[in-house]
Amino acid sequence: MFEPVDDAIERIARHLRRPVRIDPALDSRVMREITTVPQPGGATLLGATWRWLRRPHRVTLTPLGGLAAAAALAVVVLLSRTDSQSPAPPQTESRAFQFVLVAPRATHVSLVGDFNDWDATRTPMRRAGSEALWTVVVPLAPGRYHYAFFVDGARWLADPSAPVARDEDYGAPSSVLTVGGGGS
Amino acid sequence: MGIHSVGTSDAALVRRVQAGDTGAYADLVARYRDRLGRYALHMLGNREDAEEVLQDAFVRAYRSLTRCDDPERFGAWLYGILVNRCRTAGARAARRAQRFVYDPAALEGAPLPGPDGRTEWDDVVRWALARLPSESREAFLLKHVEELEYEDMARLTGAGVSALKMRVKRAREQLQAMLKEVERV
Repeated sequence: MFEPVDDAIERIARHLRRPVRIDPALDSRVMREITTVPQPGGATLLGATWRWLRRPHRVTLTPLGGLAAAAALAVVVLLSRTDSQSPAPPQTESRAFQFVLVAPRATHVSLVGDFNDWDATRTPMRRAGSEALWTVVVPLAPGRYHYAFFVDGARWLADPSAPVARDEDYGAPSSVLTVGGGGS
Repeated sequence: MGIHSVGTSDAALVRRVQAGDTGAYADLVARYRDRLGRYALHMLGNREDAEEVLQDAFVRAYRSLTRCDDPERFGAWLYGILVNRCRTAGARAARRAQRFVYDPAALEGAPLPGPDGRTEWDDVVRWALARLPSESREAFLLKHVEELEYEDMARLTGAGVSALKMRVKRAREQLQAMLKEVERV
């Protein structure tokens, strides 16, 4: 005999209540999916982001090849501060861009680029809950920027999903982001 | 016990995502991943299916975040999406099973796991849970594993409180009968 009815049921329930660990890589898969698939009916703020992401000159997310040790992944997302009813911003107006890097083994990450004089102390990235995800939001005026991620004070990572910079002034890999004017 | 947000920052995170901070959604995913994953795993009985459904639920929730009327109750709202996705996935799996496995005689004669030892007990529980009708399994898990109140369960499932109480009662009876069956082997 097992136990009385309620004890047996409670034993089953207790067994099932044990914590279950789901692969944390699921976070990255979710974030990849929500930053690469357009949101249907996007008349909202997020819809604007998706529309921006779909344009061919913009950055989209791809796996970071050749850096398996870091298991890193990056994406840059436009954070429009206006809804679809608002007029397009003038060409000189800065717009917010969110840079996201997936680097589960990193302990410190900075965004460096033309916009902060490649100073690793000026734009630190912060963990966004997930152990793997680092983010920072930077306002950028229309223009063409070189940038990279500076990991653990020693390693430069170009954004794998962005065009590679041809002129590597610092001898390290970097990427190019073109910020268009007129609401592009 | 009910469904509660963790701390008070669920709403703040939801509002940040709604304001365009996509990265804030990672906090919500990390916060709910394991708890919701446990429900999906027990409901579907398969880790691969559970992770697929969980990912789908998170993505659907993100796309519908503008419809989350009460950000303070994001967890409960997300739970509702997961419960529905598990139902859909469960029905799909059941159709697959009907197509490829339909041999009642063989199933009747299949050996049952023994009750001794932790691994065997785990087998017993999973075997018994999988044999429950999906509605009973859903109600049992929400009540006895996720420890929700019947009112919360009603909101999540769309079923009435009386119906849910009946499903839980039947699940308990069926589980008990199955344990006795195991005991006889």
